[in-house]
Amino acid sequence: MNAARKLALSFPLILLLALLLLYPLALLLGRSLQNANGLGLSNYLLLFTEAPYRRALFHSVILSALVAALSSLICLAPAWLFANENFPGKNLVRAIFTLPMSFSGIIVGFLAVIMLGRIGAVPQFLQRITGHNYLAGSAYQLGGLVIAYLYFEIPRATLTLESALRKFDPQLSVAARSLGAGTWQRLRLLILPLIWRPLVSTFAVTFTVSLGSFGVALILSKRFSVLPLEIFQQITGYGNQGLMAAMSIALVLLACVINYSVRATSGLGAGQLQDAEGRGGAGPPSGRRIDAGEGTPA
Amino acid sequence: MKKLLLTALGLLAALVAHAQEKVVIQYDCIPNYANWGGVTAAYMKETGVRVPPDMKGSSAAMAALDAEKANPQADCAYYSGAIGYQAATKGLHQPYQPKGWEKIPDSLKDPEGKWWTVHTGHIAILVNKSALGGKPVPRSFADLLKPEYKGMVVYDDPTIQGTGFTFVYGINSIMGGGADMKAGFDYLKKLDANVVNYAKENSYNDLLRGEIPIWINADGNGLKAQWVDKAPIETVIASEGTVVMPLVMGMVAGAPHPEETKKYLDWCLGDSAQKLMAQSFFRPVMKVDLDADLQKQFPPESNYAKAITLPLNEMAANADAVKARWSKEIKR
Amino acid sequence: MRMDRIGILALYLITWALLIVVAAPLLVVLAGAFLDPSLLGVSSERWAADTSAFVPGWFGYVFALYGRSMQFSLLLALLSVAVCIVVSVPAAYAIVRTDSRAGRALEEITLLPLSIPGIAMSIGLIQAYTIVRGQWWLILCGHVLYTIPLMMRVVTNALRSFDLEKLEGVAQSLGANRWQRSLFVILPNLRHSIIVGSLLVFAISWGEFNVSFLLNTPLHQTYPAALYATYTANSFAVSSAATTIFLAVIIPVLLALQWIGGREFNRLEQAA
Repeated sequence: MNAARKLALSFPLILLLALLLLYPLALLLGRSLQNANGLGLSNYLLLFTEAPYRRALFHSVILSALVAALSSLICLAPAWLFANENFPGKNLVRAIFTLPMSFSGIIVGFLAVIMLGRIGAVPQFLQRITGHNYLAGSAYQLGGLVIAYLYFEIPRATLTLESALRKFDPQLSVAARSLGAGTWQRLRLLILPLIWRPLVSTFAVTFTVSLGSFGVALILSKRFSVLPLEIFQQITGYGNQGLMAAMSIALVLLACVINYSVRATSGLGAGQLQDAEGRGGAGPPSGRRIDAGEGTPA
Repeated sequence: MKKLLLTALGLLAALVAHAQEKVVIQYDCIPNYANWGGVTAAYMKETGVRVPPDMKGSSAAMAALDAEKANPQADCAYYSGAIGYQAATKGLHQPYQPKGWEKIPDSLKDPEGKWWTVHTGHIAILVNKSALGGKPVPRSFADLLKPEYKGMVVYDDPTIQGTGFTFVYGINSIMGGGADMKAGFDYLKKLDANVVNYAKENSYNDLLRGEIPIWINADGNGLKAQWVDKAPIETVIASEGTVVMPLVMGMVAGAPHPEETKKYLDWCLGDSAQKLMAQSFFRPVMKVDLDADLQKQFPPESNYAKAITLPLNEMAANADAVKARWSKEIKR
Repeated sequence: MRMDRIGILALYLITWALLIVVAAPLLVVLAGAFLDPSLLGVSSERWAADTSAFVPGWFGYVFALYGRSMQFSLLLALLSVAVCIVVSVPAAYAIVRTDSRAGRALEEITLLPLSIPGIAMSIGLIQAYTIVRGQWWLILCGHVLYTIPLMMRVVTNALRSFDLEKLEGVAQSLGANRWQRSLFVILPNLRHSIIVGSLLVFAISWGEFNVSFLLNTPLHQTYPAALYATYTANSFAVSSAATTIFLAVIIPVLLALQWIGGREFNRLEQAA
């Protein structure tokens, strides 16, 4: 069988991607460039000239970046433990950590309300022990939004980092110590260079997820708008089709720019970025091959 | 593996079976609003026809109908009056005169039958007393501006929900404003300081739990929370007055299930449906005999002495401009 | 040495704190679902609760009002799994076996949906297919688009892990024809990956909201959309019961992934 005939096996996939991915995206791009006077960038300009849209765009970027940075850093702790330590109940703990993975944003938003709403479980509990309902209604403030976003990023960040940290051989650290390296020296010279790349790719993964998240904001964000919410407003109210398309394309571009620039700076292939193998650097084609021992022989 | 396949086949069969089942699609059919949950459940029991819940607000329903004009998905829709009127002028409805048509007052229906009122409500201040934190129950719209209610007030986003639109439009008349809407917008701007949220969706649940202490919405929802759900809710008709909100239905142009829809629309004006709506404290458009107990639970008529009836045609004609202005000046 | 101890202790502390953050809300939801409704003073939802008196608490209400959504979402998830297997496995084989530039480009494009926000994609689908808007399979299309990268990655990784060429060569020299080779040599080797991929696809599809929300119609509504409806318009008891049902489906799937998938799962799921 020659290569062309083999590739024909992927025809259903090609068809599916063309119809469901490329054609709608192209159409969206086309719509976003159309305006009353023909073609132009006026829809995109609206994103910057109209205060509500500009603010939503800005909020989206800042919130996603903040959440991505926080989750990448905080989740180093569980990722390190899962990768390098053994403790009783590890499997169960790890399983619980993966739970929010498939929670859609609305569920996370609901959980945030029942915990941190005006009469949420946390303020009620604090009321009982301190006599004051601290944190009441914090779900609707920026802090609450950040915590809710963190909630669904925890499993993503933890698992991405864990698989990278697993490649780190603790023996190295032991060896370094026996050679007289202090804790900070080991951290600076050994561990930081090793975790830098996974941290960056975790940032990219979590940033993308936060940027597109919609359900949390739908429930929680009262005055703080994000771009996906503005798109929703455009479609439920009488929206400007061109503007709606421009917002969508802006989201797509933002996500892709972050993903691909991270990839360019860290030399990872796309597949690797998503897998966050954290061991890129080898040329893309061969670098993304998985060693035989690493796969899962059935 | 086999079991999974069988499950999938079973579900597929169920889906096909559902496709055979008779349905009427009503946009804006929120179970806890005006007792639509009870109304549709009773209709299912009586006729076997299912009317599934739908969470779109009035304006969202109109936008969806417009987007689907080429290929309509819905059979009928329910709106607050002005939005229903607007949808009819946009050509989204087909004329139909349901049974009992002649009994509806002329001001509450379109002469051709493109929309008609099923019940009416009034804009009221719904207050969850246990969530006020000891503050007094506000008695007027002016009270709502007091700093002590900061972060407690919610009203619906008027670009999505019809009730929110009726309030945003009507407050101008309540405040004695003119055609420039200045009095209304001035008030809304001041109110903004106390508003925690312009809700995109129905907030009944949040009011019940006390998550929202003060919700400006239809009086029926507050009365239902108070009498049916026994929550510590008080429904305040503001001392400045209120506006009447007719809630209307219309049959969608190109409705996919026309025969079933007509039967359903007839039924909605019938005795049993109208009574069910009254149980949610929306005032039936038809004359029905209500239980004395229920009658007593409605606030006294004197509360509504200052209720203003706004011309729907004017409201509809200005709707887009008012919504745009609200987005620009209030929501920002 | 002491610094190390303190460091590890800090890691444990952070981890336990995160564990509490993740688990506590779920416990509150479970409690809410099984509370005696009269404690919450909510009775307007009784009208439907009595339709299935044998189901405790508010579950009856949820089944009565949103049972269809549950069925629909289960069906969507199973169909997504089926479509993903049928489309991905041959394509992954082709890409790995030919190792060509075209194949790699195709692989890149397959992964693209993972970095496209769901709401943008649903706007694209709505605008591209207005004429079939309201058809239930348009939602399926959205789900497949977002789950196929996961399946592709699991399967391509597995295929790359063994020497396909050699394996096939041996089988061929033993007289196996093309169909026998794929049926008896390649597929059995992929069984484990396909199971892992299927669980992953099922889990993501069952919880998917971003793409399907705008594609939903009253007749064909996914369960997460129904959940959203209960959050806005129903009492806490009903919302909690609905969420508990959601969790009851997803938790076994995720646990199965955790134990069956092992390391593969770690590598693959995070981008979902």
